[in-house]
Amino acid sequence: MISILEFLARLAVWLVLAPLLPGIINKVKAWVAGRRGPPVLQLYYDLARLWRKGVVLSTLASPGFIAGPAVAWVAVLAAALLLPLGPLGTSLSFRGDVILLVYLLALARFCTAWAALETGSAFEGMGAAREVSYAVLAEAAVITAVLTLSLQTRSVSLSAMLAPSAGTGAVLLAVGLFTVLLAENCRVPFDDPNTHLELTMIHAVLVLDHSGPPLAAILHGAAMKLLLFSVLLVQAVLPVGELPLVAAAGALIGGVLVVTVAVGLVESFLARYAFRRVPLLLTTAFLLCVFALLIAWKGGAA
Amino acid sequence: MTPGLLLATSACGILLSLTGAFRAPRWWLATSLVSTLTALAAAAWVLATGGAWEWRSAFLIGGEGVHLRLDGVSALFLALLAVVGGAGAAYSREYWADPAHPASARLGRWWWSTLLLCMGLLLLCSNGLHFLIAWELFALCAYFLITLDGQRREVRAAGWLYLAASHAGTLALFAFFSLLAARTGSWDLGPMREQANLAPLFWLALFGFGVKGGVFPLHIWLPSAHANAPSHVSAILSGVAIKMGIYGIVRFSGWLPVPPAAGWLVTTLGVVSAVLGVAFALGQHDLKRLLAYHSVENIGIILMGVGFAMVATAHGQAAWGALALAGGLLHVWNHGLFKSLLFLGAGSVLHATGTREMSRLGGLWRVMPWTASLFALGAAAISGLPPLNGFVSEWLVYLGMFDALNQPGAAVVVAIPAIVLLAMTGALALACFVKVCGVVFLGASRSPAAGHAHECGPWMRGPMLVLAAGCVAIGLAPFVFWPALHTAVAAWRGTWTDVPAPESLTTLGLFHVALAALAAVAAAWLWRRAHRGGWARAGTWDCGYAAPTARMQYTAGSFASIITEWFAWILRPERHAHRPEEAFPRRAAFEEHTPETVLERVIQPCARLVMWLSGGARRLQHGRTHAYILYLILGLAAVAVLTLAWGR
Repeated sequence: MISILEFLARLAVWLVLAPLLPGIINKVKAWVAGRRGPPVLQLYYDLARLWRKGVVLSTLASPGFIAGPAVAWVAVLAAALLLPLGPLGTSLSFRGDVILLVYLLALARFCTAWAALETGSAFEGMGAAREVSYAVLAEAAVITAVLTLSLQTRSVSLSAMLAPSAGTGAVLLAVGLFTVLLAENCRVPFDDPNTHLELTMIHAVLVLDHSGPPLAAILHGAAMKLLLFSVLLVQAVLPVGELPLVAAAGALIGGVLVVTVAVGLVESFLARYAFRRVPLLLTTAFLLCVFALLIAWKGGAA
Repeated sequence: MTPGLLLATSACGILLSLTGAFRAPRWWLATSLVSTLTALAAAAWVLATGGAWEWRSAFLIGGEGVHLRLDGVSALFLALLAVVGGAGAAYSREYWADPAHPASARLGRWWWSTLLLCMGLLLLCSNGLHFLIAWELFALCAYFLITLDGQRREVRAAGWLYLAASHAGTLALFAFFSLLAARTGSWDLGPMREQANLAPLFWLALFGFGVKGGVFPLHIWLPSAHANAPSHVSAILSGVAIKMGIYGIVRFSGWLPVPPAAGWLVTTLGVVSAVLGVAFALGQHDLKRLLAYHSVENIGIILMGVGFAMVATAHGQAAWGALALAGGLLHVWNHGLFKSLLFLGAGSVLHATGTREMSRLGGLWRVMPWTASLFALGAAAISGLPPLNGFVSEWLVYLGMFDALNQPGAAVVVAIPAIVLLAMTGALALACFVKVCGVVFLGASRSPAAGHAHECGPWMRGPMLVLAAGCVAIGLAPFVFWPALHTAVAAWRGTWTDVPAPESLTTLGLFHVALAALAAVAAAWLWRRAHRGGWARAGTWDCGYAAPTARMQYTAGSFASIITEWFAWILRPERHAHRPEEAFPRRAAFEEHTPETVLERVIQPCARLVMWLSGGARRLQHGRTHAYILYLILGLAAVAVLTLAWGR
């Protein structure tokens, strides 16, 4: 009974709290720009409205156009449920779950790109191509970060890997993972969630033809993914699993807030990069993770 | 029923099917299916019980007594051969039917049966001489199947290239088996790990089997052969025939001692094959050629598992070696299943539209919903996505490598780059298969041929469904298949018998089931929710442009261009562009082609050099008899001088 309640609580955290993050980012951006900005809960209103709306489908779209966002949403949720939540720990932990997490995100990517290609639109083709191509570099950076944590803790299970802090290379790892977070969640400098010029975007152009409930699923999934990466980043860097209950909860919530505010600040002070420079930036993130890995490896030996 | 009886039934079945290949296609199909099912049963028996079957006879072939053996390793490959062989036989009934191919359909059936027979014998032979005979026969059968459609010039060229490459490999195997027989004093094969002087022979075996397996620099024959063969032949070539190379490497790295560097080299070859195979695949526009390059990639993943097992042997660490090997061997099955499925799907597309050129296809899901969904399943599986089988085997390989990472020892140096590159390979394969599915099956049709396509019939759909069911079964219940892997691992290395199943395999299976169920529920729910008030249909939003056409869709080349640009240093794409000029341009065109770099930049220049040198030597042969008599006298004089000077 306890475990079911705990599982429901965990589910609620992911489902209910996730849409808060984009709201906070927008608030930060508005604050920096001296505007009042949309309410923090704006995404909740948007989701509710989209869920009630009807759907306009492209004449070319197959059933996969609706199934894609649904499967992608499930994949992100499943990946999120694998992640330990500070003091709550994890409900399901096994050897190799970290690889499953990486590949679940790949499943979500596959489904999103599939749904984008359904419409035969050149713009969505562009977006899908960019998404899957840049993900190659992002995935290399993520797996290197995973390797670092695994070397440090001698474990292949998320709950053990994320419990202690990342040690000497923590700063490198944090910057590397933060860059990947920006890339994977369509934030500046990789992508601009505010532009409406389809040519310049990656993720947002993927969903040009989606409307109504499928679009709601996509937006909610994106919010969950942002929360997932923030939680992963915070737990990789801070020793959340080794703190007492209240401190751990505080560290986790505070860390996620710091990451969110940082995303908003980056978005306020940086312009979007030219696409030519995106691979360069992602390679930098990868290299930062490689240096963290080298520190974990050689530092452990010394 | 013992495996011996089952195998005898299977052999009878395949021999009977030979009698029906020309005149009685139904009898041929029935006997072939019975034969493959009994072979599958025999393999399953060995894999489930863990006992090997062995049979020696006094009957001599080439002066050697017949010695057959079915142990865990060979049973694993035999099971795959049976499944793909049966599926391909049924598929060919409609795909390569008699009315459409009056001459080659019968020959195709005949060679199909002989190919299955030879590959089966190859797996059973436990005598070096007989192994070589079966190897050569199997290579020849495959040649005749590849060139079934010999009217077309490129088919004949692909056949010759295959034959030449295959024999280069066979030459190395001749040397390997002769030296082995010379050093051991017998052609008989079996575990002989204690004879350390046999270790250097492994290099010969690695080359010979590597050519057949399509390991990266030796893969030159593979793309054109797979692309030009009939699709059911491509399926068995890619699904099973190239696995015979893997079988050889696994078999002889298990039976013979290997040099200390072998594990590292095999792993490195695996990593290189995986990354470059998928890079070349991204550059292709031909659907079947693209799938062929993915075979190179997957052979690489298998070799990473096998190579790590060899490294583990050198370090004496059974636990992670067994995991990596189990992952590699499971990937043999998985790749056999999903790649055959994909080739059969590509065959349906080719059958329906008459083209393999992806830029002429598009929007096929509307007319070919079965093919499209089964191909999509195969694409998700080969990209290593949960909850399908490709992920399970890659996960096992990952676990083996992560465990190597966390053990003291030199394995870390290889494990780190191998893990990172395996992850990148997965992401690249995903990009490639999103491209294939999107360009071929989604969007609008790019040519009239794609618009007039039709769905394939039950004989083509059935085998695809069987293969897809295999992919789903291994994905959802991987723990069911662990005993088979355990038997194979124990047969590879007798001391690794007590390796426990990874306890998380069951959890992973349950997670996969839950994920699949949840995904189905969510998709159905979202569908109902979106369909609530009926949906409005409208043209695709093209940013205000009023008249989008099918030719404005993203093409395969443009989709992959970001990644092919990163790999341009090895892909060397050839581009021909006519830019639009003046105010009212007459014509503009852009063409891009990715050649087979190793063949065209390395092998062919070398071949030209050899031809040039031989051209010089050929001047000696001119047809003038008196000059030949002069050669004879000079030769005799030279021999005389040699004998007199150094003869004693």
